Amino acid sequence: MKAVIIGAGLGGLLAGAKLTKAGYDVEIFERLPFIGGRFTNLPYKGFKLSTGALHMIPHGSRGPLAQMLKEVGANVTIIDSNPIAVIRKENNEIIAFHDFRNELSLTKQVKLGTVLSYSRKFKPRSEISFRDWVLKYFDDEFLFKLADSFCGWALSLKAKDVPAREMLEIIDNMYLYKGSGIPLGGCSAVTDALSGIIRSNDGRIHTQSNVERIIIDNDMAKRVIVNKKTIDADIVISDIGHFETSRLYESEDLEYSDKISNVKPSKGIKICLSSDEQLIGHSGVFFTPYAQRINGINEVTNADPSLAPPGKHLVMSHQTLISDDLEAEINLGLLDLQQLFPGKEYDVLLIQSYSNGWPVNRASSGNDNGNRTPVENLYIVGDGAKGKGGIEVEGVALGVRNVMAEIGVS
Amino acid sequence: MKVSVECVGCGQCAAYCSFDAIIIFGRASMNENCIECGECVKYCPLSAITESI
Repeated sequence: MKAVIIGAGLGGLLAGAKLTKAGYDVEIFERLPFIGGRFTNLPYKGFKLSTGALHMIPHGSRGPLAQMLKEVGANVTIIDSNPIAVIRKENNEIIAFHDFRNELSLTKQVKLGTVLSYSRKFKPRSEISFRDWVLKYFDDEFLFKLADSFCGWALSLKAKDVPAREMLEIIDNMYLYKGSGIPLGGCSAVTDALSGIIRSNDGRIHTQSNVERIIIDNDMAKRVIVNKKTIDADIVISDIGHFETSRLYESEDLEYSDKISNVKPSKGIKICLSSDEQLIGHSGVFFTPYAQRINGINEVTNADPSLAPPGKHLVMSHQTLISDDLEAEINLGLLDLQQLFPGKEYDVLLIQSYSNGWPVNRASSGNDNGNRTPVENLYIVGDGAKGKGGIEVEGVALGVRNVMAEIGVS
Repeated sequence: MKVSVECVGCGQCAAYCSFDAIIIFGRASMNENCIECGECVKYCPLSAITESI
């Protein structure tokens, strides 16, 4: 069986590793000169920055991605963060994430326990947003700000743009897998290990290879055209999202076309800082609910000093995009950093923004359209087709798992 | 080099530029160090960079 994979991002590589292990003949085509998509290292001034993700695996060494890496034999060390996360309060005091309940009145603490256990069991069926869901039970400024900070960091969305249903699935996964962790060597440790497995199982990965067309015959994908050459396929897996993939073939399924053209990607800004001294002091998430724009920050060199030159720390902040004025949003983020670390000396290394065709997530969380297409043997993986309750790359792993189940690869 | 409206400011071009010629602030722009070598073109995920001429 011949599998053609479009795109060597995390989803394409995970699918490729699973399929080569199952005996498929795998050929991956990547348009860029390097593999890994938005989950690899970006060498910059002696630092290992990243093309996208903040060198972080949301559920660490026990999560869905870590599990799948083990299954395919990818040798990646994931350093679990301890503490997992902290919250910076309005008065600058830092508390452990799980102690956020202590900030509520006793009555609200009891209510939160009841509401959470009920809602996790009976997830809302309606389209209620996470913000409105919180508002339904609690009128509490701290909880609203924390919800926005968490959703902004983990999903690059405001709490009002996340379905409560999806957020409760995420909360389930947080109880189940805990989190978070840093892959030793950064994002590329994961994607390079996967490409190593694919190649050692005789799979092929071609860079600077643009898939121009998928040829459909009798509702089945039969061939792809790559750099003017024709490649036969028994199955095609695309890691470039539903919409971009649909532009490679003709489909008469108007309902599907409609559904996928309405998907909104999530947008965000990452500011990479270099500092001589620690700004955070651990590798867990530093949530900033009271900052104007920044949702959270991490300092990955506490887990892996090799991500920066000797004696330097690499600190990365993330903020979801609130307005379309990108420059104003970046300036607010920079101002937040000054206020969060007063008197500290740091340099801004690189400011990276993500939106539209190169977003944080091709489908914002809770708005994924599954992995199937109108073409029976054409599947979508990656951040445009995440599995339920999967934060970022964990969702990518869950989506790949769904596709493997569909085609009968365990 | 010319940068089109497709640019989102991901910074990949700047990291691979050997001449420190690309400034990123919401989008990419080239400074006076740019020698039009065109190396950045292939690193843009959105094909947003083209030769000036």
